[in-house]
Amino acid sequence: MTSADETETSAVEESVHDGTAPKRTLLTRMRAEPLLPEAGAGGAPLTAVIAVISFLAVLAMAAVLIINTAASEWTSSLRSEVTVQIKGTDAVQIESRMAAAIRVLETTDGVLEVSSIDQEEAAELLEPWLGDGNAAAFLNVPAIIEVKIAPALRSDLDLLRNRLEAAAPSAVLDDHASWHDRLATAARSGQALAFAVFLIVLGAACAISIFAARAGLAANHEIVSVLHLVGATDEFIAAEVQRRFFVLGLRGSIVGLMAALLALGLAALALRSGIGTDSFLPSFTLGGWLVLWLLSVPVVTCFVTALTARLTVLRTLQDQY
Amino acid sequence: MGTNSLIVDFDKAGLAYGGEPETLSDISMQLGEGEFRFLTGPSGAGKTSLLKMIYLAHRPTRGSFSLFGEDAMNAKRAELPALRRRIGVVFQEFRLLDHLSAFDNVALPMKVAGINQNQYREDVSELLNWVGLGHRMTAKPPTLSGGEKQRVALARALVSKPDLILADEPTGNVDPAMSERIMKLFVELNKLGAAVIVATHDLHLVQSLGKPVLRISDGQLSRSPSLGGNL
Repeated sequence: MTSADETETSAVEESVHDGTAPKRTLLTRMRAEPLLPEAGAGGAPLTAVIAVISFLAVLAMAAVLIINTAASEWTSSLRSEVTVQIKGTDAVQIESRMAAAIRVLETTDGVLEVSSIDQEEAAELLEPWLGDGNAAAFLNVPAIIEVKIAPALRSDLDLLRNRLEAAAPSAVLDDHASWHDRLATAARSGQALAFAVFLIVLGAACAISIFAARAGLAANHEIVSVLHLVGATDEFIAAEVQRRFFVLGLRGSIVGLMAALLALGLAALALRSGIGTDSFLPSFTLGGWLVLWLLSVPVVTCFVTALTARLTVLRTLQDQY
Repeated sequence: MGTNSLIVDFDKAGLAYGGEPETLSDISMQLGEGEFRFLTGPSGAGKTSLLKMIYLAHRPTRGSFSLFGEDAMNAKRAELPALRRRIGVVFQEFRLLDHLSAFDNVALPMKVAGINQNQYREDVSELLNWVGLGHRMTAKPPTLSGGEKQRVALARALVSKPDLILADEPTGNVDPAMSERIMKLFVELNKLGAAVIVATHDLHLVQSLGKPVLRISDGQLSRSPSLGGNL
Protein backbone atom coordinates (compact mmCIF):
# COMPACT_ATOMS: atom_id res chain seq x y z
CA MET A 1 0.00 0.00 0.00
CA THR A 2 1.36 3.40 -0.92
CA SER A 3 1.61 6.24 1.55
CA ALA A 4 -1.29 7.93 -0.23
CA ASP A 5 -3.39 4.82 0.23
CA GLU A 6 -2.48 4.68 3.89
CA THR A 7 -3.45 8.29 4.33
CA GLU A 8 -6.79 7.68 2.59
CA THR A 9 -7.54 4.57 4.66
CA SER A 10 -6.60 6.24 7.92
CA ALA A 11 -8.83 9.17 7.02
CA VAL A 12 -11.69 6.71 6.58
CA GLU A 13 -11.12 5.20 9.98
CA GLU A 14 -10.76 8.56 11.70
CA SER A 15 -13.88 10.02 10.20
CA VAL A 16 -15.94 6.93 10.96
CA HIS A 17 -15.10 7.31 14.61
CA ASP A 18 -15.31 11.09 14.71
CA GLY A 19 -18.58 12.11 13.12
CA THR A 20 -19.25 15.25 15.11
CA ALA A 21 -16.45 17.56 14.02
CA PRO A 22 -17.54 17.87 10.38
CA LYS A 23 -21.11 18.43 11.52
CA ARG A 24 -20.10 21.56 13.45
CA THR A 25 -18.29 22.83 10.39
CA LEU A 26 -21.32 22.12 8.29
CA LEU A 27 -23.70 23.90 10.63
CA THR A 28 -21.62 27.04 10.35
CA ARG A 29 -21.19 26.81 6.60
CA MET A 30 -24.46 25.21 5.64
CA ARG A 31 -26.50 27.44 3.41
CA ALA A 32 -28.90 27.03 0.56
CA GLU A 33 -26.45 26.85 -2.31
CA PRO A 34 -28.18 27.28 -5.65
CA LEU A 35 -28.21 24.07 -7.64
CA LEU A 36 -27.57 26.05 -10.80
CA PRO A 37 -24.43 28.19 -10.67
CA GLU A 38 -24.84 31.95 -10.85
CA ALA A 39 -22.69 32.36 -13.95
CA GLY A 40 -24.95 30.06 -15.89
CA ALA A 41 -27.87 32.44 -15.66
CA GLY A 42 -26.00 35.36 -17.16
CA GLY A 43 -25.07 36.91 -13.82
CA ALA A 44 -23.89 40.50 -14.01
CA PRO A 45 -24.73 41.16 -17.70
CA LEU A 46 -28.32 40.05 -17.17
CA THR A 47 -28.58 42.21 -14.05
CA ALA A 48 -27.30 45.19 -16.04
CA VAL A 49 -29.76 44.62 -18.88
CA ILE A 50 -32.66 44.28 -16.45
CA ALA A 51 -31.52 47.50 -14.74
CA VAL A 52 -31.74 49.34 -18.08
CA ILE A 53 -35.11 47.77 -18.85
CA SER A 54 -36.41 48.65 -15.40
CA PHE A 55 -35.13 52.24 -15.81
CA LEU A 56 -37.05 52.62 -19.07
CA ALA A 57 -40.14 50.94 -17.65
CA VAL A 58 -40.19 53.30 -14.67
CA LEU A 59 -39.81 56.32 -16.96
CA ALA A 60 -42.62 55.07 -19.19
CA MET A 61 -44.87 54.48 -16.19
CA ALA A 62 -43.94 57.92 -14.82
CA ALA A 63 -45.00 59.42 -18.14
CA VAL A 64 -48.36 57.63 -17.90
CA LEU A 65 -48.90 58.95 -14.38
CA ILE A 66 -47.69 62.49 -15.04
CA ILE A 67 -49.86 62.84 -18.14
CA ASN A 68 -52.78 61.54 -16.12
CA THR A 69 -52.13 64.06 -13.36
CA ALA A 70 -51.72 66.89 -15.84
CA ALA A 71 -54.90 65.99 -17.69
CA SER A 72 -56.80 65.84 -14.41
CA GLU A 73 -55.48 69.23 -13.34
CA TRP A 74 -56.22 70.85 -16.67
CA THR A 75 -59.65 69.37 -17.14
CA SER A 76 -60.80 69.89 -13.56
CA SER A 77 -59.74 73.50 -13.83
CA LEU A 78 -61.69 73.84 -17.05
CA ARG A 79 -64.72 72.06 -15.63
CA SER A 80 -64.88 74.22 -12.52
CA GLU A 81 -64.93 77.47 -14.47
CA VAL A 82 -67.07 79.08 -17.13
CA THR A 83 -66.53 82.34 -18.94
CA VAL A 84 -69.17 84.90 -19.83
CA GLN A 85 -68.36 87.19 -22.71
CA ILE A 86 -70.27 90.50 -22.89
CA LYS A 87 -70.42 92.27 -26.23
CA GLY A 88 -72.02 95.57 -27.02
CA THR A 89 -71.98 98.52 -29.41
CA ASP A 90 -70.07 100.77 -27.01
CA ALA A 91 -68.41 100.82 -23.64
CA VAL A 92 -71.48 102.10 -21.83
CA GLN A 93 -73.68 99.31 -23.15
CA ILE A 94 -71.06 96.68 -22.35
CA GLU A 95 -70.71 98.10 -18.84
CA SER A 96 -74.45 97.97 -18.16
CA ARG A 97 -74.83 94.50 -19.61
CA MET A 98 -71.91 93.26 -17.52
CA ALA A 99 -73.50 94.64 -14.36
CA ALA A 100 -76.77 92.87 -15.23
CA ALA A 101 -74.94 89.63 -15.92
CA ILE A 102 -73.06 89.85 -12.63
CA ARG A 103 -76.35 90.33 -10.79
CA VAL A 104 -77.73 87.16 -12.42
CA LEU A 105 -74.62 85.22 -11.58
CA GLU A 106 -74.54 86.36 -7.98
CA THR A 107 -78.10 85.21 -7.45
CA THR A 108 -77.55 81.80 -9.02
CA ASP A 109 -77.12 78.74 -6.81
CA GLY A 110 -73.83 77.00 -7.48
CA VAL A 111 -71.91 80.09 -8.47
CA LEU A 112 -68.91 80.22 -6.14
CA GLU A 113 -66.96 83.20 -7.31
CA VAL A 114 -67.40 85.94 -9.91
CA SER A 115 -64.53 88.06 -11.15
CA SER A 116 -64.89 90.47 -14.02
CA ILE A 117 -62.42 91.74 -16.53
CA ASP A 118 -63.86 94.98 -17.88
CA GLN A 119 -63.30 96.33 -21.34
CA GLU A 120 -60.31 98.41 -20.25
CA GLU A 121 -58.55 95.45 -18.57
CA ALA A 122 -59.31 93.21 -21.57
CA ALA A 123 -57.75 95.80 -23.87
CA GLU A 124 -54.65 95.88 -21.67
CA LEU A 125 -54.31 92.14 -22.08
CA LEU A 126 -54.11 92.65 -25.85
CA GLU A 127 -51.52 95.41 -25.71
CA PRO A 128 -48.50 93.08 -26.01
CA TRP A 129 -49.75 92.14 -29.49
CA LEU A 130 -51.50 95.31 -30.66
CA GLY A 131 -49.40 98.03 -29.02
CA ASP A 132 -50.23 100.58 -26.34
CA GLY A 133 -53.74 101.99 -26.62
CA ASN A 134 -54.43 100.41 -30.02
CA ALA A 135 -56.83 97.76 -28.76
CA ALA A 136 -59.03 100.28 -26.99
CA ALA A 137 -58.87 102.68 -29.92
CA PHE A 138 -59.57 100.33 -32.80
CA LEU A 139 -61.38 97.35 -31.34
CA ASN A 140 -64.64 97.04 -29.52
CA VAL A 141 -63.12 94.62 -26.99
CA PRO A 142 -65.75 92.59 -25.11
CA ALA A 143 -65.79 92.35 -21.33
CA ILE A 144 -65.20 89.00 -19.76
CA ILE A 145 -66.54 87.51 -16.54
CA GLU A 146 -64.77 84.48 -15.03
CA VAL A 147 -67.11 82.38 -12.95
CA LYS A 148 -66.16 79.54 -10.62
CA ILE A 149 -69.00 77.09 -10.29
CA ALA A 150 -69.96 74.09 -8.19
CA PRO A 151 -69.98 70.69 -9.98
CA ALA A 152 -73.78 70.48 -9.64
CA LEU A 153 -74.29 73.62 -11.69
CA ARG A 154 -72.14 72.26 -14.53
CA SER A 155 -74.91 69.88 -15.56
CA ASP A 156 -77.51 72.66 -15.64
CA LEU A 157 -75.81 75.45 -17.53
CA ASP A 158 -78.62 75.88 -20.07
CA LEU A 159 -80.85 77.56 -17.51
CA LEU A 160 -78.06 79.95 -16.53
CA ARG A 161 -77.32 80.60 -20.18
CA ASN A 162 -80.96 81.54 -20.82
CA ARG A 163 -81.11 83.82 -17.78
CA LEU A 164 -77.91 85.58 -18.83
CA GLU A 165 -79.18 86.15 -22.37
CA ALA A 166 -82.40 87.54 -20.97
CA ALA A 167 -80.59 89.95 -18.62
CA ALA A 168 -77.73 90.86 -20.92
CA PRO A 169 -78.45 90.27 -24.63
CA SER A 170 -75.37 89.12 -26.57
CA ALA A 171 -73.89 87.54 -23.43
CA VAL A 172 -72.15 84.34 -24.45
CA LEU A 173 -71.52 81.65 -21.85
CA ASP A 174 -68.52 79.48 -22.74
CA ASP A 175 -68.38 76.23 -20.74
CA HIS A 176 -64.91 75.31 -22.22
CA ALA A 177 -66.37 72.00 -23.40
CA SER A 178 -64.46 71.97 -26.69
CA TRP A 179 -61.16 72.70 -24.90
CA HIS A 180 -61.91 70.07 -22.33
CA ASP A 181 -62.63 67.44 -24.98
CA ARG A 182 -59.50 68.25 -26.94
CA LEU A 183 -57.34 68.14 -23.83
CA ALA A 184 -58.88 64.88 -22.71
CA THR A 185 -58.26 63.34 -26.14
CA ALA A 186 -54.67 64.56 -26.19
CA ALA A 187 -54.12 63.25 -22.66
CA ARG A 188 -55.61 59.86 -23.50
CA SER A 189 -53.39 59.61 -26.59
CA GLY A 190 -50.32 60.54 -24.59
CA GLN A 191 -51.16 58.03 -21.90
CA ALA A 192 -51.79 55.29 -24.43
CA LEU A 193 -48.47 56.01 -26.10
CA ALA A 194 -46.58 55.96 -22.79
CA PHE A 195 -48.34 52.75 -21.73
CA ALA A 196 -47.47 51.16 -25.07
CA VAL A 197 -43.83 52.04 -24.44
CA PHE A 198 -44.14 50.47 -20.97
CA LEU A 199 -45.53 47.26 -22.49
CA ILE A 200 -42.83 47.19 -25.15
CA VAL A 201 -40.19 47.53 -22.44
CA LEU A 202 -41.77 44.64 -20.52
CA GLY A 203 -41.79 42.70 -23.78
CA ALA A 204 -38.06 43.36 -24.06
CA ALA A 205 -37.68 42.00 -20.51
CA CYS A 206 -39.48 38.83 -21.62
CA ALA A 207 -37.27 38.47 -24.68
CA ILE A 208 -34.11 38.91 -22.63
CA SER A 209 -35.35 36.36 -20.09
CA ILE A 210 -36.09 33.82 -22.80
CA PHE A 211 -32.67 34.29 -24.34
CA ALA A 212 -30.85 34.16 -20.99
CA ALA A 213 -32.82 31.15 -19.74
CA ARG A 214 -32.04 29.19 -22.92
CA ALA A 215 -28.39 30.19 -22.76
CA GLY A 216 -28.28 29.22 -19.09
CA LEU A 217 -29.74 25.80 -19.81
CA ALA A 218 -27.28 25.23 -22.64
CA ALA A 219 -24.37 26.30 -20.44
CA ASN A 220 -25.59 24.05 -17.61
CA HIS A 221 -26.52 21.07 -19.78
CA GLU A 222 -24.47 18.63 -17.71
CA ILE A 223 -25.90 19.90 -14.43
CA VAL A 224 -29.46 19.70 -15.73
CA SER A 225 -28.78 16.18 -16.97
CA VAL A 226 -27.48 15.08 -13.55
CA LEU A 227 -30.46 16.70 -11.83
CA HIS A 228 -32.79 14.73 -14.08
CA LEU A 229 -30.92 11.49 -13.46
CA VAL A 230 -31.14 11.85 -9.68
CA GLY A 231 -34.89 12.32 -10.00
CA ALA A 232 -35.51 16.04 -10.49
CA THR A 233 -38.71 16.97 -12.26
CA ASP A 234 -38.84 19.65 -14.94
CA GLU A 235 -40.81 21.78 -12.50
CA PHE A 236 -38.04 21.50 -9.90
CA ILE A 237 -35.41 22.66 -12.40
CA ALA A 238 -37.71 25.43 -13.66
CA ALA A 239 -38.27 26.59 -10.08
CA GLU A 240 -34.51 26.76 -9.53
CA VAL A 241 -34.10 28.88 -12.65
CA GLN A 242 -37.11 31.01 -11.70
CA ARG A 243 -35.64 31.71 -8.26
CA ARG A 244 -32.32 32.63 -9.84
CA PHE A 245 -33.93 35.02 -12.31
CA PHE A 246 -36.10 36.57 -9.62
CA VAL A 247 -33.03 37.45 -7.58
CA LEU A 248 -31.19 38.81 -10.63
CA GLY A 249 -34.31 40.68 -11.70
CA LEU A 250 -34.76 42.16 -8.25
CA ARG A 251 -31.19 43.41 -8.17
CA GLY A 252 -31.42 44.90 -11.65
CA SER A 253 -34.85 46.39 -11.06
CA ILE A 254 -33.81 48.14 -7.88
CA VAL A 255 -30.80 49.67 -9.63
CA GLY A 256 -33.03 50.75 -12.54
CA LEU A 257 -35.65 52.19 -10.17
CA MET A 258 -33.07 54.21 -8.27
CA ALA A 259 -31.60 55.60 -11.49
CA ALA A 260 -35.06 56.47 -12.82
CA LEU A 261 -36.12 58.17 -9.59
CA LEU A 262 -32.92 60.18 -9.67
CA ALA A 263 -33.56 61.21 -13.27
CA LEU A 264 -37.16 62.16 -12.52
CA GLY A 265 -36.12 64.10 -9.42
CA LEU A 266 -33.57 66.07 -11.42
CA ALA A 267 -36.16 66.73 -14.14
CA ALA A 268 -38.65 67.95 -11.53
CA LEU A 269 -36.05 70.29 -10.03
CA ALA A 270 -35.08 71.61 -13.45
CA LEU A 271 -38.71 72.28 -14.40
CA ARG A 272 -39.43 74.03 -11.11
CA SER A 273 -36.36 76.23 -11.19
CA GLY A 274 -36.47 76.99 -14.91
CA ILE A 275 -40.17 77.65 -15.44
CA GLY A 276 -41.60 78.39 -12.04
CA THR A 277 -44.72 77.11 -10.36
CA ASP A 278 -47.18 79.30 -12.31
CA SER A 279 -46.43 77.53 -15.55
CA PHE A 280 -49.07 76.09 -17.82
CA LEU A 281 -47.16 72.80 -17.35
CA PRO A 282 -48.62 70.47 -14.72
CA SER A 283 -47.26 70.21 -11.21
CA PHE A 284 -44.53 67.55 -11.19
CA THR A 285 -43.64 66.24 -7.77
CA LEU A 286 -42.24 62.84 -6.77
CA GLY A 287 -44.49 61.97 -3.92
CA GLY A 288 -47.34 59.85 -2.64
CA TRP A 289 -49.10 57.70 -5.14
CA LEU A 290 -46.68 58.45 -7.94
CA VAL A 291 -43.79 56.90 -6.04
CA LEU A 292 -45.93 53.96 -4.93
CA TRP A 293 -46.91 53.25 -8.52
CA LEU A 294 -43.31 53.57 -9.64
CA LEU A 295 -42.20 51.17 -6.89
CA SER A 296 -44.56 48.59 -8.32
CA VAL A 297 -42.77 48.68 -11.69
CA PRO A 298 -39.61 46.78 -10.58
CA VAL A 299 -41.81 44.26 -8.80
CA VAL A 300 -43.74 43.68 -12.03
CA THR A 301 -40.46 43.50 -13.98
CA CYS A 302 -39.14 40.90 -11.51
CA PHE A 303 -42.21 38.72 -11.77
CA VAL A 304 -42.31 39.01 -15.56
CA THR A 305 -38.62 38.08 -15.79
CA ALA A 306 -38.89 35.14 -13.40
CA LEU A 307 -42.13 33.79 -14.84
CA THR A 308 -40.85 34.04 -18.40
CA ALA A 309 -37.69 32.18 -17.42
CA ARG A 310 -39.75 29.46 -15.77
CA LEU A 311 -41.99 28.96 -18.80
CA THR A 312 -38.98 29.02 -21.14
CA VAL A 313 -37.20 26.33 -19.11
CA LEU A 314 -40.28 24.11 -19.00
CA ARG A 315 -40.74 24.46 -22.74
CA THR A 316 -37.06 23.93 -23.53
CA LEU A 317 -36.77 20.87 -21.29
CA GLN A 318 -39.79 19.33 -22.97
CA ASP A 319 -38.23 19.93 -26.38
CA GLN A 320 -34.61 19.04 -25.71
CA TYR A 321 -34.21 16.46 -22.97
CA MET B 1 -40.81 -15.01 -10.20
CA GLY B 2 -43.90 -12.89 -10.79
CA THR B 3 -43.84 -9.73 -12.87
CA ASN B 4 -44.42 -7.56 -9.82
CA SER B 5 -41.18 -8.67 -8.17
CA LEU B 6 -39.06 -7.91 -11.22
CA ILE B 7 -37.01 -4.78 -10.90
CA VAL B 8 -35.61 -4.82 -14.44
CA ASP B 9 -37.14 -6.71 -17.33
CA PHE B 10 -35.78 -6.41 -20.87
CA ASP B 11 -37.16 -8.41 -23.73
CA LYS B 12 -35.32 -8.27 -27.05
CA ALA B 13 -34.47 -4.65 -26.45
CA GLY B 14 -32.19 -2.75 -28.80
CA LEU B 15 -30.53 0.64 -28.53
CA ALA B 16 -29.34 2.74 -31.44
CA TYR B 17 -28.06 6.30 -31.25
CA GLY B 18 -29.49 8.59 -33.92
CA GLY B 19 -29.88 6.24 -36.84
CA GLU B 20 -26.54 4.52 -36.27
CA PRO B 21 -26.27 0.71 -36.12
CA GLU B 22 -27.48 -0.72 -32.83
CA THR B 23 -25.12 -0.40 -29.90
CA LEU B 24 -27.10 -3.01 -28.00
CA SER B 25 -29.07 -5.75 -29.69
CA ASP B 26 -31.63 -8.24 -28.49
CA ILE B 27 -31.07 -7.57 -24.82
CA SER B 28 -33.21 -9.91 -22.76
CA MET B 29 -32.64 -10.05 -19.05
CA GLN B 30 -34.48 -9.96 -15.78
CA LEU B 31 -33.36 -8.71 -12.41
CA GLY B 32 -35.58 -9.48 -9.46
CA GLU B 33 -35.85 -7.88 -6.06
CA GLY B 34 -32.75 -8.47 -3.95
CA GLU B 35 -30.70 -9.89 -6.82
CA PHE B 36 -27.07 -9.07 -7.50
CA ARG B 37 -25.36 -9.12 -10.91
CA PHE B 38 -21.93 -8.28 -12.10
CA LEU B 39 -21.76 -6.89 -15.62
CA THR B 40 -18.49 -7.54 -17.37
CA GLY B 41 -17.14 -7.19 -20.84
CA PRO B 42 -14.45 -5.42 -22.80
CA SER B 43 -14.32 -1.66 -23.15
CA GLY B 44 -16.86 -0.39 -25.65
CA ALA B 45 -18.91 -3.57 -25.47
CA GLY B 46 -21.98 -1.70 -24.23
CA LYS B 47 -21.87 -1.98 -20.44
CA THR B 48 -22.43 1.72 -19.88
CA SER B 49 -25.10 1.85 -22.59
CA LEU B 50 -26.99 -0.96 -20.88
CA LEU B 51 -26.77 0.84 -17.54
CA LYS B 52 -27.95 4.07 -19.24
CA MET B 53 -31.03 2.29 -20.47
CA ILE B 54 -31.72 0.99 -16.98
CA TYR B 55 -31.33 4.39 -15.31
CA LEU B 56 -33.49 5.93 -18.02
CA ALA B 57 -30.91 8.19 -19.62
CA HIS B 58 -31.90 6.50 -22.88
CA ARG B 59 -34.87 4.39 -23.75
CA PRO B 60 -34.52 1.29 -25.90
CA THR B 61 -35.29 1.91 -29.54
CA ARG B 62 -37.00 -1.45 -29.84
CA GLY B 63 -38.17 -4.37 -27.76
CA SER B 64 -39.75 -3.97 -24.36
CA PHE B 65 -38.45 -2.71 -21.07
CA SER B 66 -40.12 -2.52 -17.71
CA LEU B 67 -38.70 -1.06 -14.53
CA PHE B 68 -40.20 -1.73 -11.10
CA GLY B 69 -43.11 -3.32 -12.91
CA GLU B 70 -43.83 -0.14 -14.91
CA ASP B 71 -43.69 -0.01 -18.69
CA ALA B 72 -40.61 2.18 -18.99
CA MET B 73 -40.69 2.10 -22.80
CA ASN B 74 -43.92 4.04 -22.88
CA ALA B 75 -43.84 5.88 -19.55
CA LYS B 76 -44.75 9.54 -19.80
CA ARG B 77 -42.04 12.08 -19.22
CA ALA B 78 -43.66 13.18 -15.96
CA GLU B 79 -43.51 9.60 -14.66
CA LEU B 80 -39.75 9.20 -15.11
CA PRO B 81 -38.52 11.19 -12.05
CA ALA B 82 -40.38 8.89 -9.65
CA LEU B 83 -38.73 5.85 -11.27
CA ARG B 84 -35.29 7.48 -11.27
CA ARG B 85 -35.57 8.28 -7.55
CA ARG B 86 -35.69 4.54 -6.86
CA ILE B 87 -32.33 4.06 -8.58
CA GLY B 88 -28.93 4.97 -7.20
CA VAL B 89 -26.26 5.36 -9.85
CA VAL B 90 -22.50 5.51 -9.43
CA PHE B 91 -21.41 6.97 -12.74
CA GLN B 92 -18.08 5.95 -14.19
CA GLU B 93 -17.17 9.60 -14.73
CA PHE B 94 -18.69 10.52 -11.33
CA ARG B 95 -20.79 13.42 -12.72
CA LEU B 96 -20.50 15.52 -9.58
CA LEU B 97 -21.62 19.16 -9.67
CA ASP B 98 -18.43 21.20 -9.36
CA HIS B 99 -20.06 24.26 -7.81
CA LEU B 100 -21.54 22.27 -4.92
CA SER B 101 -19.75 20.96 -1.86
CA ALA B 102 -19.29 17.23 -1.29
CA PHE B 103 -22.13 17.42 1.24
CA ASP B 104 -24.49 19.10 -1.23
CA ASN B 105 -23.56 16.69 -3.98
CA VAL B 106 -24.42 13.74 -1.78
CA ALA B 107 -27.61 15.46 -0.64
CA LEU B 108 -28.73 16.14 -4.23
CA PRO B 109 -31.19 13.22 -4.55
CA MET B 110 -32.82 14.29 -1.28
CA LYS B 111 -33.05 17.92 -2.33
CA VAL B 112 -34.68 17.15 -5.66
CA ALA B 113 -37.13 14.89 -3.85
CA GLY B 114 -38.14 17.89 -1.75
CA ILE B 115 -36.93 16.42 1.54
CA ASN B 116 -36.10 18.89 4.29
CA GLN B 117 -32.42 19.24 5.09
CA ASN B 118 -33.02 18.45 8.76
CA GLN B 119 -34.24 15.01 7.71
CA TYR B 120 -31.20 14.04 5.66
CA ARG B 121 -28.33 15.93 7.26
CA GLU B 122 -27.44 13.05 9.56
CA ASP B 123 -27.63 10.46 6.78
CA VAL B 124 -25.45 12.48 4.45
CA SER B 125 -22.88 13.15 7.16
CA GLU B 126 -22.85 9.49 8.15
CA LEU B 127 -22.34 8.33 4.58
CA LEU B 128 -19.55 10.82 3.96
CA ASN B 129 -17.91 9.71 7.17
CA TRP B 130 -18.26 6.10 6.12
CA VAL B 131 -16.50 6.70 2.81
CA GLY B 132 -13.76 8.57 4.63
CA LEU B 133 -14.69 12.07 3.60
CA GLY B 134 -16.06 13.38 6.87
CA HIS B 135 -13.29 15.95 6.92
CA ARG B 136 -13.99 17.10 3.38
CA MET B 137 -17.72 17.73 3.46
CA THR B 138 -17.41 21.35 2.42
CA ALA B 139 -14.80 20.68 -0.25
CA LYS B 140 -15.85 21.10 -3.86
CA PRO B 141 -15.14 18.39 -6.45
CA PRO B 142 -12.35 20.27 -8.29
CA THR B 143 -10.33 20.11 -5.07
CA LEU B 144 -10.93 16.37 -4.56
CA SER B 145 -8.76 13.55 -5.87
CA GLY B 146 -10.17 10.95 -8.25
CA GLY B 147 -10.68 8.49 -5.42
CA GLU B 148 -12.44 11.08 -3.28
CA LYS B 149 -14.74 12.02 -6.14
CA GLN B 150 -15.62 8.39 -6.64
CA ARG B 151 -16.50 8.04 -2.98
CA VAL B 152 -18.68 11.16 -3.10
CA ALA B 153 -20.42 9.69 -6.15
CA LEU B 154 -20.93 6.44 -4.26
CA ALA B 155 -22.41 8.26 -1.27
CA ARG B 156 -24.75 10.20 -3.56
CA ALA B 157 -25.97 6.98 -5.14
CA LEU B 158 -26.75 5.39 -1.79
CA VAL B 159 -28.10 8.28 0.26
CA SER B 160 -31.73 7.82 -0.75
CA LYS B 161 -31.65 4.07 0.04
CA PRO B 162 -32.55 3.10 -3.52
CA ASP B 163 -34.29 -0.10 -4.53
CA LEU B 164 -31.86 -0.55 -7.41
CA ILE B 165 -28.15 0.29 -7.30
CA LEU B 166 -26.22 0.63 -10.55
CA ALA B 167 -22.49 1.07 -10.33
CA ASP B 168 -20.27 1.65 -13.35
CA GLU B 169 -16.70 0.75 -12.41
CA PRO B 170 -17.25 1.88 -8.81
CA THR B 171 -13.82 0.80 -7.63
CA GLY B 172 -11.79 2.09 -10.55
CA ASN B 173 -10.17 4.94 -8.65
CA VAL B 174 -9.91 3.74 -5.08
CA ASP B 175 -7.34 1.69 -3.26
CA PRO B 176 -7.85 -2.08 -2.72
CA ALA B 177 -8.98 -1.61 0.87
CA MET B 178 -11.64 0.90 -0.11
CA SER B 179 -12.64 -1.33 -3.05
CA GLU B 180 -13.27 -4.16 -0.68
CA ARG B 181 -15.27 -1.94 1.66
CA ILE B 182 -17.38 -0.63 -1.19
CA MET B 183 -18.12 -4.10 -2.52
CA LYS B 184 -18.99 -5.32 0.96
CA LEU B 185 -21.35 -2.36 1.27
CA PHE B 186 -23.06 -3.35 -1.98
CA VAL B 187 -23.42 -6.89 -0.72
CA GLU B 188 -24.87 -5.68 2.59
CA LEU B 189 -27.32 -3.38 0.80
CA ASN B 190 -28.23 -6.29 -1.43
CA LYS B 191 -28.95 -8.41 1.62
CA LEU B 192 -31.22 -5.62 2.88
CA GLY B 193 -33.26 -5.94 -0.31
CA ALA B 194 -31.71 -3.65 -2.89
CA ALA B 195 -31.08 -5.08 -6.33
CA VAL B 196 -27.53 -4.38 -7.51
CA ILE B 197 -25.76 -4.35 -10.86
CA VAL B 198 -22.04 -3.62 -10.82
CA ALA B 199 -20.23 -3.11 -14.11
CA THR B 200 -16.56 -3.82 -13.73
CA HIS B 201 -13.40 -5.01 -15.43
CA ASP B 202 -12.05 -6.37 -12.18
CA LEU B 203 -12.42 -10.13 -12.58
CA HIS B 204 -10.65 -10.73 -9.28
CA LEU B 205 -13.37 -8.75 -7.58
CA VAL B 206 -16.06 -10.66 -9.48
CA GLN B 207 -14.60 -14.02 -8.56
CA SER B 208 -14.09 -13.10 -4.92
CA LEU B 209 -17.80 -12.43 -4.36
CA GLY B 210 -19.15 -15.36 -6.37
CA LYS B 211 -22.19 -13.47 -7.63
CA PRO B 212 -23.91 -14.14 -10.96
CA VAL B 213 -22.28 -12.48 -13.92
CA LEU B 214 -23.69 -11.00 -17.09
CA ARG B 215 -21.20 -10.70 -19.89
CA ILE B 216 -21.68 -8.22 -22.67
CA SER B 217 -19.76 -8.34 -25.90
CA ASP B 218 -20.39 -6.45 -29.12
CA GLY B 219 -23.70 -5.24 -27.79
CA GLN B 220 -24.96 -8.73 -27.03
CA LEU B 221 -25.65 -9.98 -23.54
CA SER B 222 -24.75 -13.50 -22.51
CA ARG B 223 -24.36 -15.70 -19.45
CA SER B 224 -20.77 -15.92 -18.35
CA PRO B 225 -19.69 -19.54 -18.91
CA SER B 226 -16.84 -19.40 -16.47
CA LEU B 227 -18.58 -17.76 -13.53
CA GLY B 228 -21.98 -19.35 -13.68
CA GLY B 229 -24.11 -16.24 -13.97
CA ASN B 230 -27.76 -16.73 -14.79
CA LEU B 231 -29.99 -14.66 -17.01
